Amino acid sequence: MNCNNAVKWVIGGVMVTSSFTSYAEIVFNGFASLRATAADSDGGAPPFPTLHGDGDVSFSDESLFALQARADLSEGLSATVQMIAEGQDDFEVEARWAYVSYEINPQHTVSMGRFANPSFYQSEYQNVGYTHNFGRLPKAVYAGFDFTTIEGISLDSNFVFGEYALSTKLLYGSWRGTTYLAATQQDESFGFKDEISVRLELTKGWWTVYGGFFIVEIEGGSVDTNAILGNAQQAIALAQSQGASAAQVKAFEDAVTWDGKNGLYGYTGFHIDYDRVILDFEYADYGVEDSSDGFNQVWYTAFGYRVFDDTIVTLHHEKFLQDNKDLDFLNGVDQPTLKATGIAIRNSLALREFDGIGLSVRYDFHPNAALKFQYVAGEDTRPSVGDYSIWSAGVDLIF
Amino acid sequence: MKAIILAGFMGLSYSSWAVDVVVHPSNTVALDKSQIEQIFLGKLKTFTGSDKAVPVSQSETSTASEEFYSKVIGRNPTQLKAYWSKLLFTGKGQPPKKLASDEEVLKTVAADPSIIGYVSSGSADGSVRVVASF
Repeated sequence: MNCNNAVKWVIGGVMVTSSFTSYAEIVFNGFASLRATAADSDGGAPPFPTLHGDGDVSFSDESLFALQARADLSEGLSATVQMIAEGQDDFEVEARWAYVSYEINPQHTVSMGRFANPSFYQSEYQNVGYTHNFGRLPKAVYAGFDFTTIEGISLDSNFVFGEYALSTKLLYGSWRGTTYLAATQQDESFGFKDEISVRLELTKGWWTVYGGFFIVEIEGGSVDTNAILGNAQQAIALAQSQGASAAQVKAFEDAVTWDGKNGLYGYTGFHIDYDRVILDFEYADYGVEDSSDGFNQVWYTAFGYRVFDDTIVTLHHEKFLQDNKDLDFLNGVDQPTLKATGIAIRNSLALREFDGIGLSVRYDFHPNAALKFQYVAGEDTRPSVGDYSIWSAGVDLIF
Repeated sequence: MKAIILAGFMGLSYSSWAVDVVVHPSNTVALDKSQIEQIFLGKLKTFTGSDKAVPVSQSETSTASEEFYSKVIGRNPTQLKAYWSKLLFTGKGQPPKKLASDEEVLKTVAADPSIIGYVSSGSADGSVRVVASF
């Protein structure tokens, strides 16, 4: 699906239906985060690409505004547009989501257009700061991937078995965009084709367990041409001068590139909210199969305590690891220089690992707004970062 | 005598704190606390698996709401807002429509068999059926 056409189609639909009030009721809702953030690191580089690393206070790095318009067309049909303006993008307004939904029956709703990609448990509402108790969702899992939106079709379902409630989501779609690579210190283009995504969430009273995965075919883009093959040209020339055949070079290129290979993303975890205690754990494992991309193992654990009805203190630990030991993707590469280059590329892409410990305080000073403070400190394996710390204070609100 | 007066006040206080869950008189469904919770959290969307169930609520500062969300849902208004924000901003659900008073809930429920609401104990009249009390 052409995403621009899909967005225009849904926006047009909402605008047209707003002209015929006898057919549609438009409901506007929104959310916003206004946050001052100061990040610092021993190496001077920002610990995360969306932040500055110079220790100065920024009022734009983590601030955003969003407005959602939903036109109820009756008989189960609705059109939704969510416009978002993020400080890190100079508050340029973007139609982040635009989709049409049809409620087949009370249990099943099908949606089509551009909407959230449920990469991880809270990915669909990770921008709505009011929904969680952190100043910032743990970056180890919620790294700010650009593929948090996707164009396609999804089916949301709800089932109730006695006191148990099960919600599921099936999705098929595609995405083209960029991803930040620590190896090149910049965004590189790539894409997802034929994504198939499944998620399950089981709830009973105060506890929830969940899990999900998605499989995609990767379109390599500049990740392949710049970050991987672009940096390997000298090594390839050296290997050829040592007698490497065209077939050996092709085997090397096939081994290290991402294009046409399967991207696998999976996550699982639990959420407990019992009396004054809130516990969260989420673990995710993802990467590009049989390629130079090592699989990432990431997780966070959080313990929250409701000190008062309007005040929650949360302590969390997060960890981001990359597997650079599995070298099976180079089994078909037998030329020593090319094999060593493949290992170097893997190590380069897996350069970044980090952990962090954070303390967040949420104070609901208003029925629709929460004041939050957070301090996170940790260590990043990149020499340009090293030990880092992030302070933030701000307000998350819904309206 | 003092004991009788005290007991009377306690009974009055207890009565004013209670809440009744009401449906249309033609709706013969039997609901337990868990099912009512699931309906008001948007998880259970039908009565007995077929007829659509549409919950309506009241202002979060009303006595009926405070009692209902404390005794049945087990969450405070902030928790509920955070919960519904997740559904609202992912297109998975809309929070129950808020009505202004017990009277408006009774009028709305009496007019539509798919509606389920709650009112302060003692407010319900013959136009609705009380399906549970808490």
